[in-house]
Amino acid sequence: MAPRDGSQERTGTPDTVEKGMATINTLRIGVKAFVEKDGEKRKAEILSIQRKKGEPNYYVHYEEFNKRLDEWIPASRLDLSQEVEWPQPEAPTKKSQKSTAPAPKSATLPKQTAGQKHPRTSNTVATSRKNSESPELSTTTGNAAKPARSPLVGGKENRPGSDRSISVIAPEITTDTPKGEDSELDLVDIQDAAAAAKASNPQHQAPYSREEEIEKLRTGGSMTQNQTEISRVRNLGHIQLGAFEMEPWYFSPYPSTFTAAETVYICEFCLSYFDSNQTFTRHRAKCTLLHPPGNEIYRDSSVSFFEIDGRRQRRWCRNLCLLSKLFLDHKTLYYDVDPFLFYCMTTRDEHGCHLVGYFSKEKESAEGYNVACILTLPQYQRKGYGKLLIAFSYELSKREGKLGSPEKPLSDLGLLGYRAYWAETVTDVLLDHEKNSKDGKGSSEISVEEIGALSAMTTNDVLHTLQNLNMLRYSKGQHVIVLTEAVLEAKEKAKAKEKAKGLTKRRIEPARLMWKPPVFTASSRTWNW
Amino acid sequence: MTRATTAAALGSQRIRQRKLNTRNGLGIVREDELEPIDDELQRNVPRIDTGIEKAEEQQVIPISSALEHHLQAALSASQAAAIGGKVAQIYIPTPDAVPSSIDYEKLYPLKYKQPHSYIRFSSTVEDVAGCPYDLDEEDEVFLRSMNKRKNASTQCSDVVFEEIMNCFEETAQSQQPWAAVDSPPVISYETTEETMDDYLDYAQKRFSKEIYEHWKTRRLEAGNKSLIQGLKFETGADTDDADPYVCFRRREVRQIRKTRGRDAHSAEKLKKLRKELEESRELLAMIKQRELHKREQLEVERQLFEQRTNLRQVKQNLPDQYKQGDEDILINQKPKKKPLEITQRMPNIQIPRRTDGRPAESDLLHLSEWHAEREREISEAIEEKIRQHQKWNEGFVDLTKAPLTPPSETGTGSTFRTATTEYLPTPPASVSSEHSGDGGMDFGTVNANKAESVAVRYASPSYDGPCHSQPSYRRRFGRGGRLLIDRRGMRMTQKENVDSAIADRYKYDDDDDENEVPRYYVDPFDTASMVFRSRILPGQPTQAQMQAMRAQREAALAAQAANHGNSSTRSSRQPGSDG
Repeated sequence: MAPRDGSQERTGTPDTVEKGMATINTLRIGVKAFVEKDGEKRKAEILSIQRKKGEPNYYVHYEEFNKRLDEWIPASRLDLSQEVEWPQPEAPTKKSQKSTAPAPKSATLPKQTAGQKHPRTSNTVATSRKNSESPELSTTTGNAAKPARSPLVGGKENRPGSDRSISVIAPEITTDTPKGEDSELDLVDIQDAAAAAKASNPQHQAPYSREEEIEKLRTGGSMTQNQTEISRVRNLGHIQLGAFEMEPWYFSPYPSTFTAAETVYICEFCLSYFDSNQTFTRHRAKCTLLHPPGNEIYRDSSVSFFEIDGRRQRRWCRNLCLLSKLFLDHKTLYYDVDPFLFYCMTTRDEHGCHLVGYFSKEKESAEGYNVACILTLPQYQRKGYGKLLIAFSYELSKREGKLGSPEKPLSDLGLLGYRAYWAETVTDVLLDHEKNSKDGKGSSEISVEEIGALSAMTTNDVLHTLQNLNMLRYSKGQHVIVLTEAVLEAKEKAKAKEKAKGLTKRRIEPARLMWKPPVFTASSRTWNW
Repeated sequence: MTRATTAAALGSQRIRQRKLNTRNGLGIVREDELEPIDDELQRNVPRIDTGIEKAEEQQVIPISSALEHHLQAALSASQAAAIGGKVAQIYIPTPDAVPSSIDYEKLYPLKYKQPHSYIRFSSTVEDVAGCPYDLDEEDEVFLRSMNKRKNASTQCSDVVFEEIMNCFEETAQSQQPWAAVDSPPVISYETTEETMDDYLDYAQKRFSKEIYEHWKTRRLEAGNKSLIQGLKFETGADTDDADPYVCFRRREVRQIRKTRGRDAHSAEKLKKLRKELEESRELLAMIKQRELHKREQLEVERQLFEQRTNLRQVKQNLPDQYKQGDEDILINQKPKKKPLEITQRMPNIQIPRRTDGRPAESDLLHLSEWHAEREREISEAIEEKIRQHQKWNEGFVDLTKAPLTPPSETGTGSTFRTATTEYLPTPPASVSSEHSGDGGMDFGTVNANKAESVAVRYASPSYDGPCHSQPSYRRRFGRGGRLLIDRRGMRMTQKENVDSAIADRYKYDDDDDENEVPRYYVDPFDTASMVFRSRILPGQPTQAQMQAMRAQREAALAAQAANHGNSSTRSSRQPGSDG
């Protein structure tokens, strides 16, 4: 957001970015160079450099791509025939390696203040967070807004200074902004993704100060806005889990010694982690767990759901969180798992109940969230399990008699998953209602809140969905809901697809859910151990 | 919103859109039912104020990923689809998961049997994951070389090795919980020995010394950190907060406001807890008692068994000493069955059983017999009840009845009895005089009665026996143990002999009616009184009598005057006027 600021800063940026040719030896952290990726050259920022067998390896982040695509590359993939961008000269590279104390503001600020509209309330500013304007971005997005950004220095980001505090800038989305999709306006901000990912300028992106954030997390919550949390170099190479091997997407605070291990082995049932095959094999000889350690609350022909109390199964839930952090960027493990319940979906065979995905849920959510974190494990993705998980979370909300919504922010995959589910659910509700009213049951009209009540979705989510699907229109002086061709077509397509696969769609059958909303006393709601 | 309204103004000036109310019903229509002009208007989709703060809305997805290419592509694809465009569904590429090369079947054996009902499970990972220490490559090398030195019978297995290592680890953890912070020296073997019993059995301990050296070496290599790979938890140091590896921090305890109600509540809880603990302690004590008894019983049984063995030995040695019934004491006799008590219900039960139709008058009871039986049972029951009551009351003294009912009159000394005179053949010795008489003066029996507490009486029925004319007395005890003697019918035996004038003097000497004005009943026609009257009525008092009376009166007046001051002067004159 903050288009004004961005544009103002943009004017100053070109001078500050230093471009030039580089050699292998002069590359350093923070440099942006073009890297060969899938047959094309992409601009990427070097986040870390390691020598392996004498050859330097670079950990790069491709700009404007999700961090899960960050990777280690050999020097051969770097295209040094083009100019590279050097990080801000005053960016204290050495210091940032250690990522420690904020530097006194006076030393670092002068250049920035000119372009800063936001009031800076505190005196201390982490130097490494100084904006370094990046001009190249101004062209990459069609938005007028350019955020200030700085190079990420060092693999680990500095802690945000206390200056993070302030001001979400009031987004005056100007009428002349040429936006690609109108409807995205509210959901998608105009900031450069890569810039934000690196948390170059926290004032712009984080509406929370560090303290506020921690306080928020303390009282529940599992998602973080905090850039330091999400901008770390991935620490594990490979994961061996069950019958699969996969690459982790993000950093997860497994024991730091595991970084050295080529593969980290994770026991499929107890989710314990091992850095060698030997210890893992020994563990498997002893481990007797065959399913998530909780009560089964749902079972149908293909899946089971288990409910696990984070307080009672602390070890297991921690293991689960560590695992899921590998695939969830914004998840935070800052605080313990006590205030959450974990609903784990499994498939069954004679080996046991294999964890497919899970969602966590606050025992008592002040904000009415019915999901904190939600994840389908990579080996089960794109098989419809995500939607099933989401459906189950709403089924629980229906049983509780509450409306629910997932905790924000959603990841990219999460957003798509939820949107798809919402679209389908709302469409189903409308079609049902239309059918009923044609059969003479009930009125022909339905309000947004009624849709919400039928699906346990919050009114806002319903509204957003209707808008995104372009279903909310104005006709003859009043609002109507339009079952658009596109929506109906999508519905038909989905049906046809199911038929083609010969599968009946996976559904949650409410009758099979044997569950009463658990009640917790104040003390067991987990303010302490 | 601005755009929407401007567009609306441009498109059709007539309509100003109303705000959407989420509570109002909305019609559901198909696209073809819409009028084209409306559709035209819809191109400018009204942005409805959803009530979310802008900032909040932006948190729906992380800003960082907002403009990522893949997400953008996917979003715009779905958006295009929603509007009606033909777009292929776009996926966000993710690193693939590939089948692993590990021997899955071996590592995860087919052990799972799905129970019929939903699983309920509460064991923790710690419960089910076995020994937390896992043998690693380095240990393996050590263990092989160690086992090479041993013969086949004394090999140390992986499991035992792990147990021992775990014992060291846990001991170290409990002895030096802050090893990560203050890096103390590796604990000594002696220290581990103290707790070893908790972890290891005898067979395992054989290897402990050797393995300790290995463990110590490894700990030293690791800087005395735990060999079990663990997560980094907060240590209280300042660096915690910045360290990305520190995770799962404790949430600080939220201060709860102190109120009286809460205090009382927790006090109540504590009380309850204490009570429950006490109860369970008692229960345990009783269990202990029971087990002691059991042990005693077992000992007795054992003795019995030994005695029997002895006896058998003896009998085998002396086969000719056979005695009938000896076998009986070699085995436990079944306790004799108690004869079944015949209850009154039995006849009722028997009757329906008679299914063969045979006339069985002989078995039938006559009504009278049955009545008699019934009677007998009732009386037996009553007897039984009485016996029971007596048994219950044994050793108790019933004090509740005594004050209300008079004690039985059989006790000596509690009733009036005639006074009899007895002449002793010889004057009794002064000491034994009390005991000699059986006429009621036996204090021994009195004491005995008193001991039985029947002698106390607060109200006695007036008992006027036939011996009214005879003098009689009784002895009773008043409050505080005072001994009272009541007399009755005590007649002055010499009354006739006493001079009547003297007797008359005492005639009305009765303490009881002190307050009453004494009335003398005199026969007016008695000659003596007539003579008296004749003398006093006509005649003047004698001179001497008059003087005496005056003197008397004046003395009284003088005394009065002394008492009353000047009023006495007046009264002193009065006598004068009187006179």
